[in-house]
This record gives sequence, C-alpha cells and structure tokens, in this order.
Amino acid sequence: MAQIELRNVSKRWGSFVGVDDFNLTIADKEFLVLLGPSGCGKTTTMRMIAGLEDVTDGDILVDGKRVNDLEPKDRDVSMVFQSYALYPNMNVYENIRFPLKVRGIDPKTHDEKVRRASRMVELDDFLHRKPAELSGGQRQRVALARAIVREPNVFLMDEPLSNLDAKLRVSTRAQIKNLSHELAVTTIYVTHDQIEAMTLADRVVVMKGGVVQQVGSPTEIYDRPANAFVASFIGSPAMNLMEGQVSGGVFSAAHVEIRGLNAPDGPLTLGFRAEDAALAPQGSGQITAPIYTLELLGDATMISVRVGDALVSVKADKSYRAEIGDMVSFSIPNEICHLFNAKDGARLGD
Amino acid sequence: MSSPANRSSRSVVLISSAFVLVWVVIASFPFIWTLWGSFKVQADFFSKADWRYALWGTRTLIETGGTFTGAGYEGAWIQEEFWRAAINTMIVVFFTVVISLTLGTLGGYALARSGHKYAFWLLMIALIFRAMPHITLVSGYLLPFFEWNLWGHLPTSIIVLVAINQPFTLWMLHSFFLNIPKDLDESAKVDGCTQFQAFRHVIIPVMWPGVITTGLFSFLLAYNDFAVTSMLLSEENRTMVPAIAGFLGSTLEEGNVMFAVAAVVSATAPLFVLVMFFQRQIVSGLTAGAVKG
Repeated sequence: MAQIELRNVSKRWGSFVGVDDFNLTIADKEFLVLLGPSGCGKTTTMRMIAGLEDVTDGDILVDGKRVNDLEPKDRDVSMVFQSYALYPNMNVYENIRFPLKVRGIDPKTHDEKVRRASRMVELDDFLHRKPAELSGGQRQRVALARAIVREPNVFLMDEPLSNLDAKLRVSTRAQIKNLSHELAVTTIYVTHDQIEAMTLADRVVVMKGGVVQQVGSPTEIYDRPANAFVASFIGSPAMNLMEGQVSGGVFSAAHVEIRGLNAPDGPLTLGFRAEDAALAPQGSGQITAPIYTLELLGDATMISVRVGDALVSVKADKSYRAEIGDMVSFSIPNEICHLFNAKDGARLGD
Repeated sequence: MSSPANRSSRSVVLISSAFVLVWVVIASFPFIWTLWGSFKVQADFFSKADWRYALWGTRTLIETGGTFTGAGYEGAWIQEEFWRAAINTMIVVFFTVVISLTLGTLGGYALARSGHKYAFWLLMIALIFRAMPHITLVSGYLLPFFEWNLWGHLPTSIIVLVAINQPFTLWMLHSFFLNIPKDLDESAKVDGCTQFQAFRHVIIPVMWPGVITTGLFSFLLAYNDFAVTSMLLSEENRTMVPAIAGFLGSTLEEGNVMFAVAAVVSATAPLFVLVMFFQRQIVSGLTAGAVKG
C-alpha cells in the first residue's frame, strides 16, 4: 500500500533548475513511467522520491505522510540502479540477501525469500557466483531480485534496461512487466525510451527541462499529445511536424496544402502520424513532393519527403516500390491532423 | 608462437630479462652483503687488510673458531637489549598505522563523497604538509614538548608520526574512494543502511585492498622513521632505527659496529615477510562487477 504524492516539488542547484514545480499523485499499485530526454529531471525526481537527493521546495508524501526529511532507508523504497550497483565482494545470494540482513529481518526467513526472489528472475543457477562472473543481463536481474526481495512499498527503477543489448532489452522488458503485475507494487520507472514507456506504463509523465509536459495513459499521450515536444518524442517514428502558414483555414507550406482547418490565420505547426496518412493517386493528395528516401521495414515501407526543413514520413504497403526522386502524393485528411501553436508548441483546438 | 612478430621479440625478451636480472642483483646486493657480513666479526666485515676477509671470514675463524658467528646478534639483542627497541617500534608502528588509517578512511571517504569545494582545498593543504621535511615539524614541537614535560614518551612520537603520516593516507585513501562508484553507497542506503553502515558493510570490504596498501605505506614510514624518533624519544624509549644509530656510536663514545649490522638485519627481515604476506592483497580491480561494463 503506497500512494505517493508530489506537491510543488522543485530541485535547484544554485540558479540551475533541475525539476520545476512537479505536481503528481501516484496511485497505489500504479506503474508510472517518467519519460524524457537526458537532463530533463526525470532521474532527479526519482532520486528525490528515494531520498538520495534533497528537495529544494515542496513536499513528497507517501500515504499522506511527509517523507522529505526521512533517510532513504526509512522510506521503504527499493531501487534498481542504471549501473546495477551490485556489491562486488558478495556473491549473488548475499547480494540479494543484503537488504534483509541490514534491516534486521528474521534470519530464518532469509533463505526462503532470497530463493523466491531469485526464482522470479531466473537466477537459481548463479547464486554462488560473484557479480564479476555474470553477464550484463544477469547482473541486471540480480539488481532486480535485490530490489524485490523484501517486498517494498515502492519500487524505483532508473533506466534498468539501458545497458542491455537490444534483444535482451525486449525480453527483460517483458519480464519487468510480468513481475510488476505479479508483485502489484507502486512502481516508478525512469526511461528515455518511449517504447519502454508505452509498453510498461499505466501512466506516463513526459518531462522536458525539468518541467512536466504531459501526464496521461500511453494511449492518451500517443493520440493526443499536449504539445509539439510530446508529439515529436512519442511514437516510432515520431509524429511528422510541419511548419507552415494558415490563411482562411488553409495550411500551406512547400509541397503542402491542407484545406478546411479550424485554425486562426498565421503561423502553425501541423502534425500527423505516419500510419494515419496514406498514399494518394498522383497529384491528388495534400502533399505532393519528390521522394527523399525509402525505408523497407519488413511489415511496411516508410516513404519520406522533405517539407521545408522537416522530414515527413508516411507508412505504405510493404509491396510499394519507387525510386528516390519520384513524385509521390499523400492524402492527409483533416481528422488526423494535430495542430500546435507555432510559437510555444501548445496544442490547439479540440 | 613462431610468427615473425614473436620471433623478433625474442631478443627483446632476452635483453629485458638480462636487464631486470642485473638490476635485481645490484639492488639486492647491499642487503645480501649486510646479511652475510652480520655473521662475521668487525675485523672481517670492516677489514682494513683485505676486503675478501668479509667473504671467507678469516678473522672470524681466528677469533671465534668458526667462519660464522652470532656474536653481533647476541651483543645487540641480549647485551644491548635491542628487544626493547623492537617492542617500542612495534608499539609506535601499531598505533601510528591504526590511528592514521582510522582517520584516513573516515576523512578520505568524507572528502571523496563531499560535493563541496573546500574538500579540494583541504586536500591541497594536506599535500603542502606532506611536502614539508619531517624535521621542520619536529623542531617546532620540541619546545612545547619540553615545556609540557611530554618529551621522550612513546605516545608523543606516535602523535607526531600520525601528524606526518595523515596527509599522505588521506590523499591515498581519498583517491581509492573516488574509484568506488557512488551508486554503491546509494544502493546500500536504499537497501536499508545508514551512511555509516553503508561505509562499514559495503564500502570498506570493497576498499580493503586500498586500506592494506595505504596501511603498508604508513607502516613503512613509521617503521623507518629516524628524524622524529631520534629527536623525540629518550634513550630507554628508543625505537629500532635510532637504536641502530646509537650502536654506531657518536663522537664521544665508541660504538659496536657489528651490533649495528646485526640489528640492521634484524630490523629488515620482518619487512620482507610483511611485503610477501600482503602482496596478494595489493591488487587493482577492486570493484570488478559492481557496475555495468
């Protein structure tokens, strides 16, 4: 049972603002992902919750109790570090057991708890090994086991997958998802990888420059990004964003003309997702431009054209064939268009 | 093994092996010579007639009836009670090492984990004190020690040796601690340790080789010290090194050179044992496996 509340939480180092006025309530058993580019304050936010970083302003509450001044050990959190931070002088068994030992938990229960944790992350065969004798993925699982062994109230993970290779990352991601389902513990997960955020999260917090950009379920964030930054950060590929001018409801940029938009005259950033748009018969779509590049993805073909400085991609059938430089037309119906203020990137309309 | 690159390097291996061999012989010769000579009489080891007497023990045979004699050791250890000096050395060295390691690990850890600027300046000041000749400290201490009637006691010289030693241990341990990732401390803290428990249960076990290495260096400094112990200790409290100097005599009294030679060998032997014993501990790669990579 742990509901975490952050009230006006800020972190400053001198004049540098790490996290600015963070407000959020994390429900019990929720899987929350903090997402953003490096330096956006997501790790700092997590470290403040863990108690490893002092809070400059604001309050952190766990189950309604203010924990600002508590030591990390008294907050009943456990954490998986990006670097794993295993104790090199202890073997896997002792590493996993360490939290039980220092917290003075009844020694009779240790063996059972350690074995259950190690079974959950499939480490049974490695218990006697030292961390130096393990692969990256195995070390990562030791760190996971050490974090779950004493069944904490809050589970913090700081980019736990970033040091694994691509294939291992996918399988460990699945393992974490399954684990969090089984443990049903409030989890805060920091990552810069939007796919991890989409796949794991109940809710995602997108951050940039210490400021929260949007909070929402993965679907909300994907379907209705709150601003151009979120739109450009979420999705693979990210949303196409084009700069242009609106006059009389018509958005125009180089090679682009989209009519019937409900937007005021002036500059505008227009976005749409690659999979929402479609090919149109030559010359009849809203975008008609020479092909800049073609990428075969296996299940589809990505066709990219240049609009001003931006690269605009559209997903087409995998059987689509053309040459670079050939003219192509895309149909961009109004329903798929996301409109953003050209100045501050905020979402417009609806 | 027989690739051209390997074959051409064989001569390099030969030359470098020969060089190392010559170097080892030159470096160890004084020790071997002293060890050999310590079982002779003075007329052999410091022979005016023929230096080869020291090799064959010509005079030793005439004086004692054998080519080897333990007379130097007997004189030093029994007659001159060199064992007192040995015990004093043990006391001084033990406390110097323990105190400077205790303060050094705590201080080095604090400085390594402190984000403040003054940590750097403290280390700078430590370096300056380390660079000063030991004797400058001693001369400054002499007057107050006489005034307060502290001169001549073992604890007094222990304090001064710690003072001389501390900047060095602080520096060395500080740089060892810097090599230990901060994540380890933080992980321990989240796992349920207080700052001190993290230090005690997680950092120190990882640091052990660094502590041993630093301890060995401060051991050697205290063990070999002459400037402090000869100035600050009364005759009955003397440690081994000033005692050996005492055997050599002064302008006023004649010493017994062979006692000094035997005492030198006695004082050197434990060092070999010590270094041999701890060489396994003095290794790098302390934190292998702690963090990624």
